[in-house]
Amino acid sequence: MLEAFDLPFMQRALVAVLLLSVAGGLLGAWVVLRRLAFFSHAVGTATFPGLVVAAPWGIAAPLAALGSALLFTAGLTRLIRDPRLGPDGATGLLVVAALALGALLASDVYPAGTGVDQLLFGTLLGLDDADLWLAAAVAAGALVLTLALGRTWLATGFEPQTARTLGVSRARGDWALLAGLAVAVVAMLPAVGALLAATLLVVPAATVRLVARSVPQLLAGSVLLGATEGVVALWFAYELDLPPGPVLALLSGVIFGVVALGQAAAARRPVPVP
Amino acid sequence: MSEVLIEAVGLSTGYAPGEPALRGVTFAANAGQIVAVLGPNGGGKTTLMRALLGELPPFEGRVDVHGEIAYVPQTEQARLDFPVSALDVALMGAYRRTPWWKRLGRAEHDRALQALDRVGLRERAKDRFGTLSGGQRQRVLIARALVQDAPILLLDEPFSGVDRASEATILGLLGQLRAQGHALLICTHDIEQGRGFDRVLGVHGEQTFFGPGAALDAAALERTYGSEIVTLGEGAAIAVQCHHHDHEHDQHG
Amino acid sequence: MTELVTDPLLRRALLEVVILGLACGPLGVWVLHERRAFAAESLSHAMLPGLVVASLAGAPLLLGAVGGIVLAAVLVAVAARDARVGGDTAVAVVVTALFGLGVVLALRPDVPARLAEILFGDPLGATAGDIAVAALLCGAVLVALALGGRSLRLAAFDPQAAPSLGTKPGRVGIALLVVLAITIAAAAQGLGSLLLVALLLAPAAAAIRASDRLGTQLRLAAALGAGCAVVGLEVSRSLDVAAGPAIALAACVAYVVVALVRPGERGPGLRRAPIDGLTGSR
Repeated sequence: MLEAFDLPFMQRALVAVLLLSVAGGLLGAWVVLRRLAFFSHAVGTATFPGLVVAAPWGIAAPLAALGSALLFTAGLTRLIRDPRLGPDGATGLLVVAALALGALLASDVYPAGTGVDQLLFGTLLGLDDADLWLAAAVAAGALVLTLALGRTWLATGFEPQTARTLGVSRARGDWALLAGLAVAVVAMLPAVGALLAATLLVVPAATVRLVARSVPQLLAGSVLLGATEGVVALWFAYELDLPPGPVLALLSGVIFGVVALGQAAAARRPVPVP
Repeated sequence: MSEVLIEAVGLSTGYAPGEPALRGVTFAANAGQIVAVLGPNGGGKTTLMRALLGELPPFEGRVDVHGEIAYVPQTEQARLDFPVSALDVALMGAYRRTPWWKRLGRAEHDRALQALDRVGLRERAKDRFGTLSGGQRQRVLIARALVQDAPILLLDEPFSGVDRASEATILGLLGQLRAQGHALLICTHDIEQGRGFDRVLGVHGEQTFFGPGAALDAAALERTYGSEIVTLGEGAAIAVQCHHHDHEHDQHG
Repeated sequence: MTELVTDPLLRRALLEVVILGLACGPLGVWVLHERRAFAAESLSHAMLPGLVVASLAGAPLLLGAVGGIVLAAVLVAVAARDARVGGDTAVAVVVTALFGLGVVLALRPDVPARLAEILFGDPLGATAGDIAVAALLCGAVLVALALGGRSLRLAAFDPQAAPSLGTKPGRVGIALLVVLAITIAAAAQGLGSLLLVALLLAPAAAAIRASDRLGTQLRLAAALGAGCAVVGLEVSRSLDVAAGPAIALAACVAYVVVALVRPGERGPGLRRAPIDGLTGSR
């Protein structure tokens, strides 16, 4: 039944999914706790102009994407200083600007450049060594960041006012989280694309969030669930001859729905709203 | 016991340069003293706290802090949906002295449990913070400050939205801390309670009063609260407050 | 400049974008006040299963698109009720799952290519039918916003007190999402979802920055939406660049211009950490 994983390209996909679910689960837990889902999606989408100019300018695609993503992050942290726009409005506006710039470059300046399809969809079945090494580096980086900054992220997320006097640096922790997310999303692009990066980053953590009773549980659970979903989705995709990314998205969405419905049925008590 | 732990001299501070939200603050809190900070909503109590914490720069004057500060915010600043237990929150007090590569050890867990015991919540240690009552949450945040074990404590409205039992527990605890030589600054709405502490600092855009509670006379109260004061015969007075939230410059708005 | 009116291709494009700009501007103001920009940006991807089912069943594609996206909007609203999930996580979960479902349903790897077309659709391809749909939609959206104006006002600015004043914020939230969803479904195929999102968010952002009065914001957003359509198309014609991105960029430039003319009131001068400002969607 598992002969699917005898094939070399399936083994690569398996390794990629497992590595990315480590990064996705660890960082995704904080994405869900700190409500950064829109940012995670946006930072992936904002790599578009970078990917368009990568080939004509002779830059490696992941580097160009990362540059784009980091520029977006820096610009966003300035734009959100306008209190009237609202955080999500600022994110949306900047994504639109990045997409429009990318589309203009792609259609009129560098029409030969690839980008759109690769950016939006990616494929788990066509990964090269560089993609795998990047995924491994990102998984290790996410682990180190979580160990080093988990307390900072916990204290500031729970209640930011006191963080300073507790000896943790809010700004440093926040910057590290945003930059870490940008890097992780860029590493996920070749495998699942910008549209489905949330599948690895947000959905498993959001599912575990419904049942986890502590942050360590949430972190471990998100990694485990993400890895399990990834492996199962790969197998389904192989057996049914479907692209794995969308299968993973559907599968993890359905699991979220089942858990959420189960919770709603089990506890009729409303959850306290902050 | 008379060593000055925190003081401000001619402090003027605020949120935008050139527009001080609070001016002319000069006070000192010694070891073993409780200073009550009185003032109307929007009068600058929270602004003063932020300046003392170093989050707002002084436009004029200076702030001198001799020792670590523990800050107890209003409970509504905390996220109730966060998956943290009372013990997790109390343990945050140990972050500063635990390097990031070290786990929080047995000793710190014992200290956190002890602190929860002092605020009467030992048996709720494993309960999620968000499921506790308002008064219990306030006590957990105080337990966190106890674990931090700083010589200076700033408490922002520790009694607002707190039940009687919690209020008594907290007051008793603050008395113990005072006896142990901590310096405490407490923002409060309750004038009579504030009068009972060692010193009273009145603020209303600027400092209106600083001195022993007994010296807080009708004129000082009028300067602090303006016409929002109601006199109840025989020198007793209460400040009229619409409600007990202090939303000045709420940055989550 | 006159070619925008004399050239039939440009004239139809101008008409379509101006009409949609008029509707999207005020709708966008509400979207921003209700903190629904993520939904506005992403819901278009959730149309896919509806489109696939409609094409398999031989039903009109528009019907499928509307059905799929309204379902998505309702799911988002339901999932977001759980405080642990929150609005933005709900959008991410629902949109990715439905998008995945669409691809799986189609059982064809080439479907995403068609979606890419929708994503970067071209206003220059507007037909008379598209314009009729746009005009109908514009009228319906403006009427819905006018009728729901009071409820929206209450739900956006004082959700705690709204129930006592006769408005249920939860229902208003769902209603706004549904109006947004229908707008996206009906307009995305003509404009491309990029341009659509730009018309929803950028003029509204500029208007909110320009004025502190809600009525002015709504009118200004409509005017800016239509104005950006004209400017963007003219730029696209004279510089010979793609029309959709040109209009989208014109709308973003409108925000920049307003921001330069009216520097924002400074937020609290606290040393803020980056994420404090990034979160807060409902």
